Amino acid sequence: MNTTAVVTSELNRVIRFVWEELKPRGKWLTPFNIISIPIILIGLVILFFRFVYGIGSVTNLNQYYPLGIWVGFDVVTGVALAGGAYVITFVVYVMRIEKYHSIVRVTVLNGLLAYIFYAGALTLDLGRPWHIVNPIIGNSFGYNSVLFLVSWHFLLYMITMAVEFSPVVAEWAKLEKARKFLTALTLGAVIFGITLSILHQSGLGALFLMAKPKIHPLWYSEFIPVMFFVSSIFAGLSMIIFEGTISHKVFKDLLGGHDHHQYEEILLGLAKGAAITMFVYYFFQALLFIHEKRWELITGFWGYWYLLEIIGLVLIPCFMYAYAVRNRNLAIIKVASVLTLLGIILNRLNVTVIAYRWYDLDKYYPSWQEVVVTLMVVFTEIWVFRWIVTRMPVLAKRQ
Amino acid sequence: MEFYTYVNIFETKGLEYLLLLSFLVLFILLVRYLSDPGRKNAAPAEKRSTTADQGRWSSVEAVKRKPG
Repeated sequence: MNTTAVVTSELNRVIRFVWEELKPRGKWLTPFNIISIPIILIGLVILFFRFVYGIGSVTNLNQYYPLGIWVGFDVVTGVALAGGAYVITFVVYVMRIEKYHSIVRVTVLNGLLAYIFYAGALTLDLGRPWHIVNPIIGNSFGYNSVLFLVSWHFLLYMITMAVEFSPVVAEWAKLEKARKFLTALTLGAVIFGITLSILHQSGLGALFLMAKPKIHPLWYSEFIPVMFFVSSIFAGLSMIIFEGTISHKVFKDLLGGHDHHQYEEILLGLAKGAAITMFVYYFFQALLFIHEKRWELITGFWGYWYLLEIIGLVLIPCFMYAYAVRNRNLAIIKVASVLTLLGIILNRLNVTVIAYRWYDLDKYYPSWQEVVVTLMVVFTEIWVFRWIVTRMPVLAKRQ
Repeated sequence: MEFYTYVNIFETKGLEYLLLLSFLVLFILLVRYLSDPGRKNAAPAEKRSTTADQGRWSSVEAVKRKPG
């Protein structure tokens, strides 16, 4: 009886606490709110039409182009950009490089939200979205499909990242015993998460192995899975640099002076890692270029488009990172991170949308509704991220 | 579009070996380049030794000799 009373009182306390925390704080009329709120509202209306009248009512997708920007940008690109979570947790918890400990929480939060929103956006793109549970519940497992692996990995990795982030939630809710228990699970979750990440980052590339006749030969190779995995490493690192730069300005009140001092060293370390992985990736590309005699395809629009991606948005940012690390120039690192992110977005969109059925005269172009829903997903994620960061002990000061 | 293409793996083997060797050399150079301290952060260069200093190259400054 006594125990029941204690549990009830604790539960009431947590509910009251969460209710208080849900109330909005700060100014409402900010430029970000003014832009994002109308887009989110319009996106919700579009989604209503999408689920009532079907996917064809709001998109330009058809039997020839089943994958649009909802998959190409949200899922395939978004998951690559979330790769920073597994890279940083590996560096901190497995390699024990404590320098990066202060960015673990925010990176894991970014990864968790990216998977929830971007992988969750897969639901929007399915003609019959209620079938999304089939690979999980066994109604139709589909063992032979790469999607079976990808769907299970998405689910397990989201749970894993939720476990990795859960000590922060317990700390926020002042549940000390739960925090200790959840913290003890972290290392196991990290190792499991790294394994899952390596497999599904490459698994997303493996999805396109069966589309050989449809993808331009400059982007298709049997090594797409390897390329997707390697590129997810520097995509994740660049995303951390980019996101960290913005967070550092927007949430500077939440950061202590110690973190400002550490910030430079962390950026330099991330840039160094990005430069090395980009260099490796570039040579993989060069090897494929020679092995598949791609010089025969390098003329014309598609050739120049390919060179823009590989030289302009991989090799040049790689050199920029290296130069910036050598000269401790943070401004160049930030510019290089933006170029790298553009390169990753372009690469994933080339494989999924732009160079897909490249020989068609009647190409797919996303409808305005698809663009608005994509922006809605991104803005909603930023809203949730902002809410969590301003309330929970995510940034270093409160740890 | 034909679905199957047969690649002669020996046709480009020589170039691939050259590429691999150049990668190994360049990778080492890149890591060395990145591992060196940055110019701005580097410690100030030590005072260049003068001719007079060179004459005392064998002196051991750390050793305090007992007077007398």
